[in-house]
Amino acid sequence: MPSLETSFCGLRLPTPFVNGSGTLDALVSGTLGVSAFVTKTVTLNPREGNPPPRIAETPAGMVNSIGLANPGLDRFLEDDLPRLAELGVPIVASVGGWSPGEYATAVARIGAHPAVVAIELNVSCPNVESGCISIGTDPRETRALVERCRRETDVPVLAKLSPSVTEIEAIATAAAEGGADGLVLINTLRGIAIDRATLRPLLGGGGGGLSGPAVKPVALHAVFHAYAATGLPIVGMGGVAGGSDASEFLAAGATLVGIGTALFRDPAVVARAALELAEELERRGASGPEDLVAAAHPPTSTSSRA
Amino acid sequence: MLPQSRSLAVRAVEACGAYTLLRLRRDGADAGVPGQFFMLRAAPAPADAYLSRPISAAWADDDELAFLLDVRGPGTRALTAGGAVEVLGPLGHGFELAPGPALLVGGGIGAAILPWLVRLLPEARVLLGFRTDAHAVCAALVHPDATVVVEPELVTEPLARLLPGFEGTVYACGPDAMLGAVAALAAEHGVACQLAMEAAMACGFGACHGCAVKIDGRWKRLCVEGPVLEASRAVA
Ligand SMILES: Cc1cc2nc3c(=O)[nH]c(=O)nc-3n(C[C@H](O)[C@H](O)[C@H](O)COP(=O)(O)OP(=O)(O)OC[C@H]3O[C@@H](n4cnc5c(N)ncnc54)[C@H](O)[C@@H]3O)c2cc1C
Ligand SMILES: Cc1cc2nc3c(=O)[nH]c(=O)nc-3n(C[C@H](O)[C@H](O)[C@H](O)COP(=O)(O)O)c2cc1C
Ligand code: FES
Repeated sequence: MPSLETSFCGLRLPTPFVNGSGTLDALVSGTLGVSAFVTKTVTLNPREGNPPPRIAETPAGMVNSIGLANPGLDRFLEDDLPRLAELGVPIVASVGGWSPGEYATAVARIGAHPAVVAIELNVSCPNVESGCISIGTDPRETRALVERCRRETDVPVLAKLSPSVTEIEAIATAAAEGGADGLVLINTLRGIAIDRATLRPLLGGGGGGLSGPAVKPVALHAVFHAYAATGLPIVGMGGVAGGSDASEFLAAGATLVGIGTALFRDPAVVARAALELAEELERRGASGPEDLVAAAHPPTSTSSRA
Repeated sequence: MLPQSRSLAVRAVEACGAYTLLRLRRDGADAGVPGQFFMLRAAPAPADAYLSRPISAAWADDDELAFLLDVRGPGTRALTAGGAVEVLGPLGHGFELAPGPALLVGGGIGAAILPWLVRLLPEARVLLGFRTDAHAVCAALVHPDATVVVEPELVTEPLARLLPGFEGTVYACGPDAMLGAVAALAAEHGVACQLAMEAAMACGFGACHGCAVKIDGRWKRLCVEGPVLEASRAVA
C-alpha cells in the first residue's frame, strides 16, 4: 500500500488527516488517529461559550452555536499546552480575537512553545458578535491581521477562512499578500435553526454555523478557487467522512484534509478514511497523496502553484 | 482513552406502554455502571439522523444490553426499526453508590435509568412520576413495589413526605424542572443527592462542546463532568 506521508509548510506528517478546530478534545478522548492535533480556538480571555441549546441536527449535518468556549490564553498555556505536548503529535494552535492586537499577543506567546508547529488564525467563527468573522470577511483587514501575526512568530501561520463571503478568491489573496504560509477552508457556513414549536431561533446563541456532509460542495468550491487564486498549501475540510471525500479535497487543491462533524458520529473515522485513501491511491497507481493534489485544476492554473 | 464503537444486533424491540424497550445482544460489550450512557445510532442510519443519540442503559445482563426509549424524533425512531445498532460507550460518569438507605426518584423517561440501579440497590425505595397511565406502564420494569404517581400529582409530593428523618442518598433522573425540585428538597433536609441530567449531545466524548449545562456555576460539558452530578454542583 502506498505511504500516506505528506509534506505541509515544511512539516512531514504520516498522513494528510487532521481534525477541524473545535471538533476534538484530545485531552479527553485521545487524538483518534490525526497526524497533527488542531486545538479549539483560543482567545485572550476565557469564554464560557453561548447558552444552550448549542447544537441542532439538520439534513446531512448540524448547526452549532458554541461561542468559542475556551479557557483563555493564560490557562491554555499553563494547563493545556504542556499536556497536549505529551500526546506525541504535532500541535497546531487555533487563535481567535476581537482586534489584531489580541491575535498578535496570542500568536507570539503560543508560537514560542516548542510543541506548536503552526498557528491557525480563526477569522471565520460565525458564533461571536463582531471580531473574528468581521475581520475574515474584509480583504483589507484580513491582509493587515495576517501581516501583523506573521511578524510575531517563526512557525507557519495559516488563515482559516469562512465560506460565507461573496468572493473567496479576494479573501484568500489578501491572506496570501499578508504573508500567510497556508490556508484552512472552510469554517462553518452561517446558518440558523428555527424551533418548530415556538417559531423562534432554536439555538441559545441565535444563529449558528452549518457543518457536516451538507456543506461539502461549498467547501470543495472554496478550496478549488482559493488554490487557483493563491497556490498556497491548503487544509481542506467541510463534510469529510471518508477516503473518497479526502481524494476530492486533494483534487480541489488541498494538501491536508480536516475532519470535524464526522468525528462526532464515528471516532474511528480518521483511521478508516486513511485506509480508504491508501486503497484508492493503490488502485490509481499513485505513489502518495501528493499525486492527487490539484488534479481537478486545468493545466493552465499550474502557473500559480507554489 | 475512548471505548471502541461496536455494532450490536437487535434482539427485540418491545412496546412498553408509551415507551419502547430496545434489547441488544451484548456480545461482550463493556456495559459500564448505571448512569453512564452510550451514543446509539441505527445501522444503517437514515439520512435525517446523521448523529448518534445519547441513551442510558436500562440494564445489562451477561448477554443483553437494554434501553428504554421515548421515541421523539428520527434518531430514536430509527433505533426501533430493527437491524443493528452502532454503540459507543460506556461514556461519562455514572452513579456513585453510597452505603446506607437509598431513595430512587424517576420522572418520565428518566425512569429508564433505574432498573439497573434497583438491581444494585435492592433495598431502595422507588418513587416514579409520569405524565399519563400509558407512560407509567414502564414502572413494572423498575420495581414491583414502586410508588407511582401520575400528573397532576408530582413525584416530589411523596418524596417530600419521605425525606424528613431520611438518612441516606437520593438518586434522581428526570426533566430539569423535576431535578431542580428534588435537589431543593434534598438540600432542605440535608440529604445527599445525585442527579442524572440531560443535554443535547453531538458526540458524547468532549469533542463538540454542545452539551453545555450550568455546573459549578459555569457552562460546562455534561458528557465530561456528568451526566450524573452531585446535586450541589448542578444547582450552584
Ligand atoms: C445522558 C443521557 C441519557 C439519556 N437517556 C435516555 C434514555 O434512556 N431513554 C430515552 O428515551 N432518552 C434518553 N435521553 C434523551 C435522548 O437522548 C433524546 O430524547 C434523543 O436524543 C432524541 O432524539 P430523537 O432523534 O428522537 O429526537 P430529535 O429529532 O433529536 O429531537 C429531540 C426533541 O427536540 C425536538 N426538536 C427537534 N428539532 C426541533 C425543531 N427544529 N424545533 C422544535 N423542536 C425540535 C423534537 O420534537 C424532540 O422532542 C438521554 C439523554 C442524555 C443526555
Ligand atoms: C461544534 C463545532 C465547533 C467548532 N469550533 C470551531 C472553532 O473553535 N474554531 C474553528 O476555527 N472552527 C471551528 N469549527 C469548524 C470546524 O473546524 C470545521 O471547519 C467545520 O465544521 C467544517 O468541517 P466538518 O464539516 O468536517 O465539520 C467548529 C465546528 C463545529 C461543528
Ligand atoms: S456531547 Fe460533545 S462535548 Fe459533550
